[in-house]
Amino acid sequence: MMRQVVNIFLKDVRHYWRECAASMALVAAFGWNEMHGWLHDEVLASGIGIGGLFSSRFLSGLVVVLVPVAWSLVVVRVIQGESLVGDRQFWVTRPYEWKKLLAAKVLFGLTFVNLPLLVLDVFLLAKAGFRPADYIVGLFSMQLMIVLYFMLPVAALATVTATVVQMLLALLIIVLYGIGMGLLSDQIPSSSFSDPADSLTAALFFGVCLVVIWMQYARRKTNKSRALIAGLAGVCVLILVATPYRTLVAREFPQLNTRQQPPFQLALLPAEKADSETAPEKEEEKEVEIHLPLSVSGLEDQSIAAVDGFMVALEAPDGFKWNSGWKSPGLSLFPNRKSTRIDFSLKRSVFEHVRHSQATFRLSLAYTLFRDTNRRGFVTPSGVFVMADVGLCSTESRYSRGIHCLAPLRRPKSLLISADMSMSTCPLLEGESPASAGEIARDWTRSGGSEPAEFGISPVKTVDLYLLDWNGAADRRSNGICPGTPLILSNPEPVHRNQIALQIDGVRLSDYRLPSAKFTIGSISIKTR
Amino acid sequence: MNNVICTENLVKKFRRVEALRGLDLAVPEGAVYALVGPNGAGKTTFIKILMNIFGATRGRAEVLGVESTRLRERHFASIGYVSENQELPEWMRLDSFLAYLRPFYPAWDRKLENELVSQFDLPLDRKLWNLSRGMRMKAALASALAYHPKLIVLDEPFTGLDPLVRDELIQGLLQRAEESTILISSHDLAEIESFASHIGYLERGQLRFSEELTTLLERFREVELTFDTPPPLPKTAPNTWMHLSTSAAVIRFIESRFDPEKTSTKVRDVLGEARNVTFTPMSLRSIFLAMAKAARDPA
Repeated sequence: MMRQVVNIFLKDVRHYWRECAASMALVAAFGWNEMHGWLHDEVLASGIGIGGLFSSRFLSGLVVVLVPVAWSLVVVRVIQGESLVGDRQFWVTRPYEWKKLLAAKVLFGLTFVNLPLLVLDVFLLAKAGFRPADYIVGLFSMQLMIVLYFMLPVAALATVTATVVQMLLALLIIVLYGIGMGLLSDQIPSSSFSDPADSLTAALFFGVCLVVIWMQYARRKTNKSRALIAGLAGVCVLILVATPYRTLVAREFPQLNTRQQPPFQLALLPAEKADSETAPEKEEEKEVEIHLPLSVSGLEDQSIAAVDGFMVALEAPDGFKWNSGWKSPGLSLFPNRKSTRIDFSLKRSVFEHVRHSQATFRLSLAYTLFRDTNRRGFVTPSGVFVMADVGLCSTESRYSRGIHCLAPLRRPKSLLISADMSMSTCPLLEGESPASAGEIARDWTRSGGSEPAEFGISPVKTVDLYLLDWNGAADRRSNGICPGTPLILSNPEPVHRNQIALQIDGVRLSDYRLPSAKFTIGSISIKTR
Repeated sequence: MNNVICTENLVKKFRRVEALRGLDLAVPEGAVYALVGPNGAGKTTFIKILMNIFGATRGRAEVLGVESTRLRERHFASIGYVSENQELPEWMRLDSFLAYLRPFYPAWDRKLENELVSQFDLPLDRKLWNLSRGMRMKAALASALAYHPKLIVLDEPFTGLDPLVRDELIQGLLQRAEESTILISSHDLAEIESFASHIGYLERGQLRFSEELTTLLERFREVELTFDTPPPLPKTAPNTWMHLSTSAAVIRFIESRFDPEKTSTKVRDVLGEARNVTFTPMSLRSIFLAMAKAARDPA
């Protein structure tokens, strides 16, 4: 069994050693850059001064792009070495067993993509101060993700193309398709709020990749394989278009029943400035930005409401209706937050229709309520210290007043740090006034999922904890964390998911129009203060 | 005698183009079967179906007793296939190429490999892409003969080769002919004639004839009749006569079903008594040209 596999593998090594050497050199360069990046001050400093183009940031960014490119080249070249497309390849009439041929290619990929990466990852973990033996499962999980999310699709494409040029053309088509899907998604309300549909698409994607590879190796049915890929593209469009997003949101975030009290209350605040007072009209603008300042109250101590999505519905007195669809903003409401703001944009034609009407707004929020758990006090040490749930941390930086950490394999699943800024031990900067007692600042680091590792090339994740979220003082950005600053650490856990709605009658839209002085992408956003 | 290759009603369509139209062909064991025909006749398509490179649209093909669509690695270990347009791993040195192939074949014969290399005067230390076309073809043939294949399939192996190389290839093939069945498609009729035992003529996807070469050569004759007063050409000549023409007192045609007695009788019946009648044997090339012309201009 193994003889033929090894024979093909060794032939490929002889043929593609240059590609493999280049790929491994880039992986080594990535490792060097990664370690360089851990030196926080140097990274921040590197963007300043002469030679910016060749600064470590630029090189780091370049290497991060080049490593997957080099891997792709290795995978594509080795698969196309015994091309599965065409009718002139010498090997198709030789006694190749398809399983052994496939095994040889898999062995090659494991040897020249996964193994160097695994070695690098072990080295980086050790260099960062972690014991690699403690992270075996996570390390292999990272390799598995590289295979699934990266090598599998590249390999599937390589099996239905005969040359690197064909592969590039296929990639170009895929990029254009992706752009088209993005544009289409922008046109479909609530489409960004589609976890179940995304899961279905991902399952189909992996399934089709596997079937294509099998079909090509076992049968060399290139036309059918290509048709399958095209079919997948079509099905993804159908899924995007036909997914009942609102039903999914309603199921995932049920309405509170009449006996349940909402965990927080929202109310519309008066408009800050009318549009006519703030900015001249720009008729050529296609979108008009609106912001709704909201007061927040009632959120219990040790509770956090993470707003997963929101939807704005508008109805004018003449019956005209408009709906933003569900959007995913990534907004969190903390107990002593007093206000928040919702910004969204709508087409100028819609705005013109309702700008002076006494319209009715209905604001729906889909939220996850978190309960703060495992609260503990923590006095920031000096030097390098271990922070549970995160990794190895330090506050020593000339350029920032936060905690800079290196985390093994993944960022914390849910870590909230908060501090009374009046207790900050950081020296006041020039012109800075001391914080009052009870001025709380926070940083909530969340990374979804409970996998042992995050997808990526490096096993060492940088986590920067800055207390930027100040209650009630949006412009406060100083003080910060220095050695000796007392912190409260906790791990908020999700409790339940629901929807809350706020109906606001008699709103004159033009009162809430934002001065349009900036370029925006997308149609809606939320800012908090 | 068993048939090593046998096809029944083989049809292959490429979209609207019908490349093969119901081909029934049998290659007996031990035969050197030459498949000839003009360009676009379907020879390469036919061979690629046999080698399971293409699937047939209809019909079936059996190779070494196995349906061609079911040919797997163990069957290919007994088949040597060489094609003029085959893509070899040209980055390899010839010695590496042969060394690479060895483990695939349980019956690989190092001694025979060395003999072939020597016989074909192959430069082992050169990469395939540095070899001339003739050398590359010899290298491919050596790599397809070194394991004593039961069946050797050659698709236009002589195209573009100089006579010396062709001769070398044929010699190499002939030395293996005793242990193998050979199917060869070619335009090079003069060379084919020197060693083929059977011949099939493929035209526009249809097999016009398939028979032993000696039988074929026996049944084709150039007929020349000399008359004192030449008779007019008959409006309808027997359908076995091709290219009937007259020049002064001489009438010529090609008889495709020659039989000394029957042909003589038919000539007398159709054209009357001639002063002189000659029946000249034809070369394979002449037969092929006559067939091709007749197909192009049936009238």
